[in-house]
Amino acid sequence: MAITILPPVVDHVDICPSDSDMDSMSVDSDGGVDLATGRTSRPSKRPRLVEGTDITSGVVTPGEIVTDDPQWMRGHGTYINPLSTSIIATVAGTVQKTNKLLSVQPLRARYTPEIGDLVVGRIVEVQSRRWKVDVAAPLLAQLPLSAINLPGGILRRRTSADELQIRTFFSEGDLVVAEVQTVHSDGAASLHTRSLKYGKLRNGVFLAVTGTGGSGASSSMVKGGVGSGPIPAGAMGASGTGGVVRSRRQVWTVNTANGGGDVDVILGVNGYIWISKHADDTAAACSTTDSVSITRMEEMVSSSIYSSQNDDIPPQTRREIARLAQCIRVLVQGGVRVDEENVMSAYEASLQVDLEVGDDDDDDDDDRRREGREYLEGNKARRILELVLERN
Amino acid sequence: MAAQRQASSASQTPHISPAELSYLYTSLALPGSPIRPDGRSATQFRPLTAETDILPGTNGSARVGFADGTQAIVGVKAEVEKTVVSADALKLPQQTQEEYVGNNDGEANQGSSSGHGSWVQMSIEIPGFRDDDALPVFLSEMMREPLVESVSSEGSGNGEMTGGLKGRLVINKRWHWRLYIDVLLLSQPQSYPLPLLSLTTHLALLSTKLPKLKSKGEEDPFFDDDWDAAEYLYPRSTSTASATPSQQVRPPVTLLVVSVGENIIFDPDREEIAVADTVLAVSITRDSDSDNLKLVSIRTIDPPSRLTQPGVPNSENVTTLGSTAAAEEAAILNPSTGEEEVPGVWRPRRGGVKRSTVARIVKLVLEKGGVGEEVLEGLEGVQVG
Repeated sequence: MAITILPPVVDHVDICPSDSDMDSMSVDSDGGVDLATGRTSRPSKRPRLVEGTDITSGVVTPGEIVTDDPQWMRGHGTYINPLSTSIIATVAGTVQKTNKLLSVQPLRARYTPEIGDLVVGRIVEVQSRRWKVDVAAPLLAQLPLSAINLPGGILRRRTSADELQIRTFFSEGDLVVAEVQTVHSDGAASLHTRSLKYGKLRNGVFLAVTGTGGSGASSSMVKGGVGSGPIPAGAMGASGTGGVVRSRRQVWTVNTANGGGDVDVILGVNGYIWISKHADDTAAACSTTDSVSITRMEEMVSSSIYSSQNDDIPPQTRREIARLAQCIRVLVQGGVRVDEENVMSAYEASLQVDLEVGDDDDDDDDDRRREGREYLEGNKARRILELVLERN
Repeated sequence: MAAQRQASSASQTPHISPAELSYLYTSLALPGSPIRPDGRSATQFRPLTAETDILPGTNGSARVGFADGTQAIVGVKAEVEKTVVSADALKLPQQTQEEYVGNNDGEANQGSSSGHGSWVQMSIEIPGFRDDDALPVFLSEMMREPLVESVSSEGSGNGEMTGGLKGRLVINKRWHWRLYIDVLLLSQPQSYPLPLLSLTTHLALLSTKLPKLKSKGEEDPFFDDDWDAAEYLYPRSTSTASATPSQQVRPPVTLLVVSVGENIIFDPDREEIAVADTVLAVSITRDSDSDNLKLVSIRTIDPPSRLTQPGVPNSENVTTLGSTAAAEEAAILNPSTGEEEVPGVWRPRRGGVKRSTVARIVKLVLEKGGVGEEVLEGLEGVQVG
């Protein structure tokens, strides 16, 4: 089956329960199109966040009045006109109430860097003493030449010779994994790669995950879910707060099935993800150089960090890397948080789904059908999501 | 400069690091079964959603959405126009018309029964591109040409479609239909938008209806008011039997095919195009007189891989010199490009395609039960009307 064509899916738009709507609906319907009442009648159609107040729940859009009541204070994502008391949303998202503070959590937002975040970034510009890195933040992050490790781990002042050969370290398009060192007052981040686990990325695939990245999800989802308590499946799907969030482990190694060996997963807090063959540092050094003395070992490791040459990666590992990437895509499409726990359970679920499907397929030896089996979409994606949510 | 580069090449060349490109290329070039980043098989298409007749003011329309969120809408509008009869066509007697059907040279036969290619106008709108940018112009010509040139030979069983679409547009000697096909890409082009736009146009044309003609012969055209009586531009199979659709003339579909190493991959996404050795746009159509599909055109598309950044092998890299002093990489010959390469290091492709590769692509598309047939069958299955 080369192509699947589906009928369009009609989104069910029934956010508002119909109990309080009846009278306002009838007023609207006999009046025809009435622009003057449009603004005032809109909030009245929404269910209330707090009983007895006029704060709307559900999704608000930028410019929409959240409440007129002067007792509320405005929080993030809101705005107050100096001449009035009404709180207006500035982003599209859900209203949140903390005591008397009203804020709007955006449905989608760019990544807001914070000190200590592990990020995956792509070099977009090379300047004389620094690189500009795309980290999915509103502003490009900068990576100064002085914030990287020199090959061989030499500690010295950066000279003009280093500036001239700056492209041998990172050049345009290269992917780096780095840590946010400082955040400037305008929100731009400064990165550093002064650790052996940071540096140039190779031997794998990149995927950028949509979602709230680190910012929107960090306060709403993580605070509730950092203890990894059970999250209701409905809330997760409806709110759509998928994507990567700050968690304890952003980098881990998966021992994959089907002879894939070890695979590293790096979840950048900014939503950029890198999945690659596990580089066993000592083994890698030994494979590239036949005679390596134990005293030079550290030098070896750090001198291969600027390589853009891939190792030999067997097809099994490539398959499992592709599978992991798809599992993350499925999670994002389902609006599930992407973290170690969910990715791992999605991966196991995909293996299980494969077994289930494999049993049915054994009867016919149709090659064509077998080939596309690794593509996770439709029913398979749904089944994986079910299994993941079951486990949580 | 950057914008021009985008417009001329197969898609925006995304910034991809040499290590990623090398990984992708070697995965896709694995002999036998390529490993695509999303796990599809080589001939598998991304699932798409399709519906027709969505715009009430048009003669036919369709909307297609890919799973990655890209969407396109096509509207087809028909207009009656007076045929401009050129002077020599008036002078020439009737007998030359048969010649024209045989060797169709397009320009001279205005006003004859075979129609004219300029009666079909196509405009493509892609967000971020101007109307006269290279990409929309090139795309629209790439889709219009097979549409008007897909002429079925005369004397086929289906009298209505004699002369293909051009012939269908002829009302009589003095009047003809003019088709305006407006293609609108709703989202930013995630990958090269040609397959999406072509599939949508195909569906829109399938659902296009023209009012029923009441006048006869050389009278001024006069149409039936009743829209229910309107006839499809491309006649639908009247019986529900499954055997008939293969005998119907169908608008062409343009498929994007890339070759990576020895593998041939259909419906590539952006990353796959970025590493492809060759990118071909293959237009196929269904002819009325034979069961087989007909190849209408093949065009090469400038692959963006030649603009990518080359990788630096460890042996030449100043920063990695220490680690590879002992292990000299042996450069090997890439069988598909004939260039020396160090394994694991990305080299931009120089372009060029082998004849055997093109032949394999054509065979894969056209063969019985092949990709082309499955795509056309899938499109036929979309509810029209």
